[in-house]
Amino acid sequence: MNIAQLLNGLALGSLLMILSSGLAMIYGLRGVMNFAHGALYMSGAYLAYTVTNHVSFWAALIVCPLALAVIGAVLELVFFRHLQTRSHIEVGLITFGLALIIERIIGIIWGPHTLPVPAPDVLNGTSNVFGTAYPTYRLFILAIAVVMAAALVFWLRVSDTGLHIRAASQDGETSAILGINVDRVSLTVVCLGAALAGLAGTLAAPYFSVQPGMGMAILINVLIVVVVGGVGSLGGAMAAGMALGIVQTVGAVWLPNLAALLPYIALVAVLAWRPTGFAGKRV
Amino acid sequence: MTSVLEFRGVNASYDGAVVLQDVTFAIDDGETVGLVGRNGAGKSTALLSVYAVPTVTGDIAIDGKIISGRRYEPAALGVCLVPQGKRILPNLTVTENLHLGRAAKRSGIWNIDTVFDLFPNLARGAKRSGIALSGGEQQMLAIGRALMANPRLLMLDEPTEGLAPVIIDQLVEALRKVQSGGTSLLLVEQRIGMIQQLATRYLALRKGLLVSEGGISDLDKRDVQEMIAL
Ligand SMILES: Nc1ncnc2c1ncn2[C@@H]1O[C@H](COP(=O)(O)OP(=O)(O)O)[C@@H](O)[C@H]1O
Ligand SMILES: [Mg+2]
Repeated sequence: MNIAQLLNGLALGSLLMILSSGLAMIYGLRGVMNFAHGALYMSGAYLAYTVTNHVSFWAALIVCPLALAVIGAVLELVFFRHLQTRSHIEVGLITFGLALIIERIIGIIWGPHTLPVPAPDVLNGTSNVFGTAYPTYRLFILAIAVVMAAALVFWLRVSDTGLHIRAASQDGETSAILGINVDRVSLTVVCLGAALAGLAGTLAAPYFSVQPGMGMAILINVLIVVVVGGVGSLGGAMAAGMALGIVQTVGAVWLPNLAALLPYIALVAVLAWRPTGFAGKRV
Repeated sequence: MTSVLEFRGVNASYDGAVVLQDVTFAIDDGETVGLVGRNGAGKSTALLSVYAVPTVTGDIAIDGKIISGRRYEPAALGVCLVPQGKRILPNLTVTENLHLGRAAKRSGIWNIDTVFDLFPNLARGAKRSGIALSGGEQQMLAIGRALMANPRLLMLDEPTEGLAPVIIDQLVEALRKVQSGGTSLLLVEQRIGMIQQLATRYLALRKGLLVSEGGISDLDKRDVQEMIAL
């Protein structure tokens, strides 16, 4: 394995980390496995295409997460909040339906073709990493993801809202009895999770191509990451996201015929070894 | 004088199974009331009704104002619960568990320092996980967490369950200090002795009905004891 392959793994892992931390947080609070998460990521990427064309990529980096936060608010207020008492399978199916609807809408607006999103000029070249010339934009993805993850963890540890999120993820009823407005906490978390998906989509746009299958393709990987990391565990999701990025990228070089199966093999292996995942506290 | 907490014809049910029927009582400012009854009588359900955990019909009022049924509202109005089984958040430290009590956003004499003064054991384990504590310390943590909200009425659901006598004596002492700060107590207990030490009045539930109430000295009477079959 050379440095470029490892860095490719870290770049993909970064995107999985951002996506899966949002999914894990939403699951922790609402008990909803949000199958629309891939569609949110995809929305972020398509929006990034349009905003980059009309304004700039830097604007997209701000606008897309904000726009996705608004979509997150709609998801929470219209769906999750009212479906709290329904079974997981029902809510899961509804989010799956939402994913299909969002992808259809994207198809109507942007069409079926693959769309190019250029990285900003300053990030377009290569940088020297331990003697290897490596695309600067991918290092940028990695840097954003690391800063984001650190900021998220720090915020959850030190702020009152972070404390309330951690409490409500563990035991919503007791948290509410203690005076925490769990609905408001959930709204914050779903907006944040959707914004993170939008950020991941924006970051992915210049790296991968923007195309109709991107949401479902990444959703499978993110679901695997969340299960492997321990469902509902943020730290586990972050670690597993990075790990899966590396396994997949490096596997594609060494075992090209098996590469597509590697995430599933990793899933089965981890679940056989630790049924609740790396950091699993809830099943 | 308006009561700090009042139930008027409260019915409570879980999934259609009726648990409380037509329960009416009031707790005044500064008084301590014991709530007794055998297992399954509906004591916990009565306390949880304040937070709309069961499905509730009838009126529950705090300070004479009927509450909305939003679960987080009573704590903000100063009616706080130390739940049965303590319900410590296992993923949070002792200090973090205590800080949860501030979610109610009420100020007063209770803060992290005064709670640590009341329960020095908690100060010593401040950075430990809440569930790494002994049963007695977890109960102190649950009480401290509720006190952080500076309650006007503190409701405790079987706080001595599973605790050693020496710890129970410490809890009684702590609760006396809470009383002397002017906080009302609604105490659910199997140990009648503890209620007799702290309360001036009792309420008795049997099969979801309020079957007896009176001054604490009546709790000894044979007919009361038989009615609640302690
Ligand atoms: N969450 C619940 N769901 C369904 N039934 C419950 C629930 N909690 C309590 N009950 C029932 O309500 C009745 C009263 O229970 P509870 O209020 O816990 O009694 P107590 O606290 O006096 O021992 C019991 O018959 C119990 O089985
Ligand atoms: Mg009980």
